[in-house]
Amino acid sequence: MELKSNKEPKVISKNVNVFYGHKQALFDVNLEIFKNEVTALIGPSGCGKSTFLRCINRMNDVIEICKIDGEVEIDGFNIYNKDVDVVRLREKVGMVFQKPNPFPKSIYDNIAYGPSIHGIAKNKVEMDEIVETSLKRAALWNEVKDRLDEPGTGLSGGQQQRLCIARAISINPEIILMDEPCSALDPIATAKIEELIDSLKTSFTIVIVTHSMSQAARVSQRTGFFHLGKLIEMGDTEKIFKNPNNTMTQDYITGRFG
Amino acid sequence: MNKEQRRKKRYQAEKRFQAYGIVAISLALFFVGLLVFKVFSDGTSAFSRTMIKVPITFDADKLGITNINDKDEVENADYFTLVYEQFIKSYPYSNDKEEKQIIKLLSPDYEFEAKNYFLKNKDKLGKTVSLLLTASDDFDQLHKGNFPRNIPEERRRLSNYQLGIYDQFLKEGKIEKIFNNYLFSKGDSRDPELAGFGGAILGSFFSILVCLLISFPIALAAAVYLEEFAPKNKLTDLIEININNLAAVPSIVFGLLGLGVLLNVFELPRSTALVGGITLALMTLPRIIIPARASLKAVPPSIREGALAVGASRVQTVFHHVVPLAMPGTLSGTIIGLAQALGETAPLLLIGMVAFVVEIPGSPLDPSASLPVQVYLWSESAERGFVEKTSATIMMLLGFLIVMNSLAVYARQKFERKWN
Repeated sequence: MELKSNKEPKVISKNVNVFYGHKQALFDVNLEIFKNEVTALIGPSGCGKSTFLRCINRMNDVIEICKIDGEVEIDGFNIYNKDVDVVRLREKVGMVFQKPNPFPKSIYDNIAYGPSIHGIAKNKVEMDEIVETSLKRAALWNEVKDRLDEPGTGLSGGQQQRLCIARAISINPEIILMDEPCSALDPIATAKIEELIDSLKTSFTIVIVTHSMSQAARVSQRTGFFHLGKLIEMGDTEKIFKNPNNTMTQDYITGRFG
Repeated sequence: MNKEQRRKKRYQAEKRFQAYGIVAISLALFFVGLLVFKVFSDGTSAFSRTMIKVPITFDADKLGITNINDKDEVENADYFTLVYEQFIKSYPYSNDKEEKQIIKLLSPDYEFEAKNYFLKNKDKLGKTVSLLLTASDDFDQLHKGNFPRNIPEERRRLSNYQLGIYDQFLKEGKIEKIFNNYLFSKGDSRDPELAGFGGAILGSFFSILVCLLISFPIALAAAVYLEEFAPKNKLTDLIEININNLAAVPSIVFGLLGLGVLLNVFELPRSTALVGGITLALMTLPRIIIPARASLKAVPPSIREGALAVGASRVQTVFHHVVPLAMPGTLSGTIIGLAQALGETAPLLLIGMVAFVVEIPGSPLDPSASLPVQVYLWSESAERGFVEKTSATIMMLLGFLIVMNSLAVYARQKFERKWN
């Protein structure tokens, strides 16, 4: 794994092991995620890529039987330290889920919820501005600007997912985690989201878990391949897809298994 | 068996099953219809009251009123003798026994009815007015056709002499049926024509109010804690099992608890809506916790994740997102729990709400009856007049239950439709 000098690692995982009860889901994962890049995590179902993603914003904390061992450093601080405030962490690390999950509230309230609980907007004018910029950055503004008070759940699947992305960026995180964000969407909606991811990487560090090899190739700069809870190979996307070091990676990418 | 036969058999089985279903539904509807018919045919007559038109002269000398503006004097005047003397003149009598039989045709409240009329119409002093006075229960039932006349006199509650008076009054047009406002405004009474479920309705209202105020917040807090915060271990499993068991505990057991703890240990006032409400709240608690937990569980985890992912704390996630989404189900569960509490009789008997209460309760701290207990009390009474009153109370109770259950359905549909 070569380190380019002009890149700054944003997230470093050191010997991360994850257990669900007695079952171990991740084995000694060591990797680095660089700032303002899109990092794709690929691998067959159940390989632990989503589990790893959820380690980065401690979403696994919600699962009672889940135990995590090792360190995940963001900007040099271990987020599994005892004194880390999970709420502050998640302010910094946003997440978009596999199935679009807008709140059953209006489009406006969906975006405004995060900023309001963190006290980001001082008044209604500022809030309106945050909602507008978030929706614009998520390329949804033009489609919904006339119906901000309609329920977010009434949008189409692709629009809902972009609404969720807008919701995630409304609190200005540094990292956005995306857990198979396009798996429930049609190709046109998928294309829009991919375009969006590409434009977002200038302001955010993005980690995306995907099942689609072509998607990983299209949107990411670096790719990590997981298999059975282990990180098999990680490197520049171009290299992983054209000339992987590991035969297993080669087999998976060429569709021989998985 | 060939293919054709087998198919025929399958169709027959399907038809047979549908027939069973239709029979079952018809039977159920038949019994509901029977209940409603019985209650209505018995109860509708309770909503009218038989009155006798009596010409009364408010004679100042007889009343002993010297100054019409003297409040005390007007209040304490002898209306009893006034009405008595003028009413017995309305039919010829030859001895004391017959005189008594005449006055017994009026309800014992006649002096108050005359007084109340006069207090509102003081200008009638010295004038003769035709007053409508409430007839006695027996007279009332005779007029409503509930007393057969053709049975021997000694088995009748009205003598031949009294029947003669009735016929005479009827001919003279002195008998009138009016809407029975006493039924709604009065409390219990030994005289059926003066008894009403006004006190019972207020008693039930106060009990349910106390029950709601105690059980809803506690049940909601318990459900939210168990569902969202409590660790899943043997202890919480045990609590869950026990809550489910508690919902199945016979209600009279809660009555015993109320009697033993609330009345005997805490010495709260007996027969009051406060104690009734607390006892009902104990009973209602598990019946709200269970649907509340079910609706919390039904909120998709993705909503929780979405909130957590934008940095909401667990409490914020629960109270901003999960609880509001679980509210429709929780509310309808609450209303149905309260409807059950409204119809509950046994625990109230034990805490003394079965007492004979004439006064209308002004607060949950006053002794009072409740609707189901009133049904129980009146169904025990011998007088014919209480039969129709019992059914009328049941109609009232059923009416409230229908309203509450429709409210539950409405609440669920209204709030769920909003986002789908």
